[in-house]
Amino acid sequence: MDQNRSLTDITTTLAAAAGINPADVTPDMSIAGDLDIDSLTMLEVIVALEDHFGLLIPDDEWSRFTTVGDLAAHLERAGVVAS
Amino acid sequence: MGMADSQLRVAIIGAGIGGLSLGLALQERGIQADVFEQAPELTEIGAAIALSANSIREYTRLGLTPELAANSTVPTELIYRHWQDGSRIAATPVQEDGWYEKRFGAPYFGIHRADLQKTLSAAFNPGHLHLGCRIVNLVQEPDAVRLEFANGRVERADIVVGADGVRSTVRRWVTGADDAVYSGTSAFRGIVPTENLRSLPDPHAIQFWMGPDAHLLHYAIGGHGESVNFFAVVETPKQWLHPGSTAEVHEELPVASFRGWHPAVTEMIQAAASPVSWALFTVRPLLRWYRDRVVILGDAAHGMLPHHGQGANTSIEDAFALAALLADAKGDTPDITFARFQTLRRTRTRKIQRSAQVTSSLLHLPDGPAAQQRNDKVARVPQDFSWIHEYDTQLELQKIGCSPAPSATGTH
Repeated sequence: MDQNRSLTDITTTLAAAAGINPADVTPDMSIAGDLDIDSLTMLEVIVALEDHFGLLIPDDEWSRFTTVGDLAAHLERAGVVAS
Repeated sequence: MGMADSQLRVAIIGAGIGGLSLGLALQERGIQADVFEQAPELTEIGAAIALSANSIREYTRLGLTPELAANSTVPTELIYRHWQDGSRIAATPVQEDGWYEKRFGAPYFGIHRADLQKTLSAAFNPGHLHLGCRIVNLVQEPDAVRLEFANGRVERADIVVGADGVRSTVRRWVTGADDAVYSGTSAFRGIVPTENLRSLPDPHAIQFWMGPDAHLLHYAIGGHGESVNFFAVVETPKQWLHPGSTAEVHEELPVASFRGWHPAVTEMIQAAASPVSWALFTVRPLLRWYRDRVVILGDAAHGMLPHHGQGANTSIEDAFALAALLADAKGDTPDITFARFQTLRRTRTRKIQRSAQVTSSLLHLPDGPAAQQRNDKVARVPQDFSWIHEYDTQLELQKIGCSPAPSATGTH
């Protein structure tokens, strides 16, 4: 899985769970500010990502993510997507 | 072996609110389950719970609501108060003008757990409730799960449901770990005759008294609001070192923990005789609620802090969802049914669990700017948390193509 594929996987899953267009999502965007995703919608995103990648993302972790890139970096560190 | 519903052997571990509700929900769908309870008698702990519209609408369909209503108190209002001067920070009608029931399609009840358990167990086929059966082991067999109980009894089931609470034994078999986490908060609780609470304003309201590092919640129970159930939460001890979830404490500790609070608060805590501390445990979010033919629900799957009053209510939602999916399973293997159940339920319960966690710290702010912001926020509670109360399990089942309960209209 190359890097683009990984990021596409993340943005596609995120966009579907949050009900937004995946083409509108880039790594530098802030989750709350640019994408207008509140903490409850973020949990829809988190559970969808967890199911997709088979990895638990603890509340203490995701609640510190600011950007889409932070989320991607976490999944890379966890080894479920290629860096 | 597929899940041919007529002979499907379902074993439910735990006759608490989730386990009995599942037994009734399966009965509604034509499946007779067996419930195994470790206690020798059904004697729910001496505490109350709040039932909200999202669970009562299920009980209404089973015809249980009139009996529950006869033993319940509908709060007049939901009120937030300052810990020391008692001022009303925010208030929302509940019973007043029939606001809550009109908005959410079912009432809100304060009820003693023993009264709820009595109503549920009376509606369940008594020949299938097995008391004094503490599960000690589960063994995977080719076509069944073997259940071994401490009293020597051995049973086999096609489906096993762990409804055995936040310290669940069944969960340990499913996940291979102890996923219960002490929250760093504990509670003193009690039930006091309403007439003894001379300083208490609005004794029939559900009220949060919010102060530094602590809060007190209370609401009335009984058919006529004759008692007040309270739950006083403190941010101690930092670690929980006792084996069980409760511990005796020095008799002065409950009152000492609320020294300087409004007289209504100290009077209520003083009036409750037993100096017992209840540890508040949660279950860390789990990726999977099932293994082989075994699934968990309620607190066993998603034990949460009680600050939205949703522990029992989400267990009841789980129960009715799982019953529908088991009845709808046709030839599916258990893991397919359990995966559908988890997909339907995990996001919702995770949201409520997280939200209750955030609420805990908000309720415990010292006076100051952060508390002021919080006060503006609690004024919006009815709007911000309507998603919890308007949930309709049967509608959610319909959305995923599962047939609703026989008499469910699917609207409210």
